[in-house]
Amino acid sequence: MTHTLHRVGTVENLSDDFPYLAMSAKGFPNEPGSDDKMREILKIAQKHNPVNYGDMRTGNEFSTDLDEILEKVDTRSIVHAVFTNVDDAAGFAKEVAGKNFGISLVLSAPFDLAKQVAEKAGVKVHTIEYAPGIWGKKELLAENWILEITTMCGHAMISRYLVEDLTDRVKKGRMTAKAAAEEMAKQCCCGIFNPARAEKLIKKQAGV
Amino acid sequence: MKITDACIACGKCVPYCPVGAISVEDPILVINQDKCVECGACKRSEVCPVDAFEEEKRDWPRSVRGAFSNPLLVHKETRVPGRGTEEMKTNDLRGLYGNGIVGFTAEMGRPGVSTDFRDVEKVAMAMAKVGLMFAPDNPVTANMTDVKTGKLNPELYDERALSAMIEGRLKIEDLPRAIEALKEVEKELNTVFSLDVIDMPEADGSVPAEKVLREIGQPFYPNGKNNFGLGRPLATKYGKDREES
Repeated sequence: MTHTLHRVGTVENLSDDFPYLAMSAKGFPNEPGSDDKMREILKIAQKHNPVNYGDMRTGNEFSTDLDEILEKVDTRSIVHAVFTNVDDAAGFAKEVAGKNFGISLVLSAPFDLAKQVAEKAGVKVHTIEYAPGIWGKKELLAENWILEITTMCGHAMISRYLVEDLTDRVKKGRMTAKAAAEEMAKQCCCGIFNPARAEKLIKKQAGV
Repeated sequence: MKITDACIACGKCVPYCPVGAISVEDPILVINQDKCVECGACKRSEVCPVDAFEEEKRDWPRSVRGAFSNPLLVHKETRVPGRGTEEMKTNDLRGLYGNGIVGFTAEMGRPGVSTDFRDVEKVAMAMAKVGLMFAPDNPVTANMTDVKTGKLNPELYDERALSAMIEGRLKIEDLPRAIEALKEVEKELNTVFSLDVIDMPEADGSVPAEKVLREIGQPFYPNGKNNFGLGRPLATKYGKDREES
């Protein structure tokens, strides 16, 4: 699955969006014992100002707590953390790389910024995945401003209708953009949704 | 998923459904079972004040809806939660892509539209014709009756998924032909798909697949996924070399 790919946006409004995933390869020598290493990776993330984190099989910062996430990590887990700038993203990668866990680490970001992160962290980009767009019956898609928010959950757990509904509440002054972004974040099991970026996008759309 | 008689028709859950399958009908809300992809988002949202959502055990072939749409379920074929594959995320260990072999995936129904499996088959068959080697551990491949043609088990045709990944590997020289084939088949679809292309950078940092995409004028997003190569043991052979070894 490519749940951290296809985040719709401009280079400018994706410049505060650095979601990571870490996992072992099933059936490979790095799988046994990878649960403890992924727990350590989640703990390292806490030191670098994440705006979200989680394990798709348990939940994220907004739907549960770190202790439960850590407790339920197993070798099949894919753990995640989201940062909002190059320095935090690089600090995290550098510390993880220094531990030699042998666990794959993948960053989604604008390519130029990903290169900066890799250079600062002292790692090299090994494999790249491109997103050559959306195809087919595009008239079925939600409006672009909605896609900029919903595609931050690659499993499509954040409904376009929820984004419309919550943004409308923000516009009418019934809810803050922060609260709306956090309600959206709860729906994305993995913890790859970036509530800080969502808050900015909601404010822009709601004109607040 | 179904809504029980406990429902008080408050309507709070309606916007939480990713495919808009919940509607207000007196005296309770109902779920359109054709639209519902069994993703479980409604129940997991915990927005219902009376806990009226009930997850039913689904028999084949309806069971594929949850398997493809609920990210909390682990696919039997791959032991990976979500839609089922590791693709480039562990290429540092697996060595599937690079050296003239690119990853090529059509994520049917994404973003947020959903798809039936007739459309999945149309794209799979178009991709088979241009030489896509289907990923053996992918759940769409597992439901093919012929991996040479991309033909699916017809029992799936009327089922729906939030997304289904047609995934495989291509020789890089076949990439332009594959893009052309998708331009034809996309006209026949009643859904959307998102396309993925995977490759490894050369020693100078250039990426062969990126060069091909630029040469044929195929735009791609300014952002994407970057595997930092921290998995161990690192694969020693990639793409074609691995295939031949």
